[in-house]
Amino acid sequence: MTPAKSPGPGSLLTRVAGERRTGALVVGGTPGGTVYLAEGQVTYAESAAAPGVGELLTASGRLAARTWQAALDAGSAQASVGRLLLDQGHLTQGELELCVLGATYDAAYFALAAGTAAFHEGVRHWLGDVVSIDAAALNRESGRRIRLLNEIIANPRIDTAAVIPVPRPPRERVTLTAAQWELLVHADGQRTPADLAQLLGRAGFATIQELRRLAALGLIEQPKARATDNPDFVRLPRMRGASAPAHRHAAPESPAAGVSIDLSIDVPLDGDPTRAAVPAAVATSAPPVSTSGDPPAERPRLDRRKPGAKLPKEIAAEPPQPHPGTDEVLLKRIRTALRALR
Amino acid sequence: MPGVKKCLQEAMAIPGAIGASIVDYTTGFPVAMTGAAPNEDHEAAAAGTADVVQAAQSRSLFVSAVPHDLLEDLIITTAGGYHLLRLVPTDFDSRLVLYVWLDRLRGNLAVARRRMQTLAEQLVV
Repeated sequence: MTPAKSPGPGSLLTRVAGERRTGALVVGGTPGGTVYLAEGQVTYAESAAAPGVGELLTASGRLAARTWQAALDAGSAQASVGRLLLDQGHLTQGELELCVLGATYDAAYFALAAGTAAFHEGVRHWLGDVVSIDAAALNRESGRRIRLLNEIIANPRIDTAAVIPVPRPPRERVTLTAAQWELLVHADGQRTPADLAQLLGRAGFATIQELRRLAALGLIEQPKARATDNPDFVRLPRMRGASAPAHRHAAPESPAAGVSIDLSIDVPLDGDPTRAAVPAAVATSAPPVSTSGDPPAERPRLDRRKPGAKLPKEIAAEPPQPHPGTDEVLLKRIRTALRALR
Repeated sequence: MPGVKKCLQEAMAIPGAIGASIVDYTTGFPVAMTGAAPNEDHEAAAAGTADVVQAAQSRSLFVSAVPHDLLEDLIITTAGGYHLLRLVPTDFDSRLVLYVWLDRLRGNLAVARRRMQTLAEQLVV
């Protein structure tokens, strides 16, 4: 999955920092991101999977969206948005520094994870130089965060797949932290961890960390291996019910089996989402008398259905309405991206 | 109105201060640090700090059922020193704690605690 032909983002960062260069290290791929350097010191980083300074400040209500927009309009061209917010008294120096530090470490974790990296000389971020972070520390910390997550539960697919709370908790009594509650309440089966982080204005890494804990507790579904390299950051509307057959199946844990099962579910989703309901429904209602004697290995994808039973509600029902919040998040991100081009 | 660096400088001006840092306690990483650290390792100290804060926040003994009765600070004393942890409340999403390590003989626990309270508030107000 990771292209190995070019130097990884981490080693390129070390190199350009060693040469004390100024510019932007752009990492392609999923989720990708950009790390900005000034004379070899990291000043900011951004990634689609991590809310930026603007999202953090406005989603929390710390700054009115209007205030933030005004500062962006006035300061983007001179790369002095941070300076402006301080001068106008909207933020204290400490707040801005802490916010930028947090957002930078957060985004760098995603940006430096994988992908093809290229360095663009001389590019500055519109925020201006608020902090300066040692590139080696940033690299080291990004690596350490990967280990932290794997200590909770080693399933990186949780980090990108849509978050689906289990319909019934696997135990009688469940204790949640405030952050976990917030995530479960907003997880509608379609939002990815990145969507949730942007929506709630919570750090991307902290979101993933809590989701891995929830997965370890058995409170959200663990996504199985997927054969496609589908970027989850621009998603097609997903069938809410489509995941149901796979889970009722008690699929074996071996990755190979996981792929075969998920293929049958995911492939129709890449096309027209309204049509996806039909094959799934047909497949479920299909198990007839003729296959009942077959060894189960031959047709592992189908669920048994009692003759005369109704279709499961989630398959037979109309395709669910796309969630209004999703559009909003997408639009916000597009706006931010467009603004960065100016 | 001080920045992060100024805040840590002022923390080091607390009588008996040996080292200070601001730690992200979700990840156990010191986002800023100055002076000495236990065992001369700021990153290991930060990881330990994060463990302590998380333990205090997740164990029912310390978690209050009263709304807004949130964790303020944690104080650990050893024969040789005081370790003070003060949560830094920010409006935006962050999980930060101000950590100051004091020499037991020169440090005064009550003074240090009050100063840290002021510092943490000044940082974000």
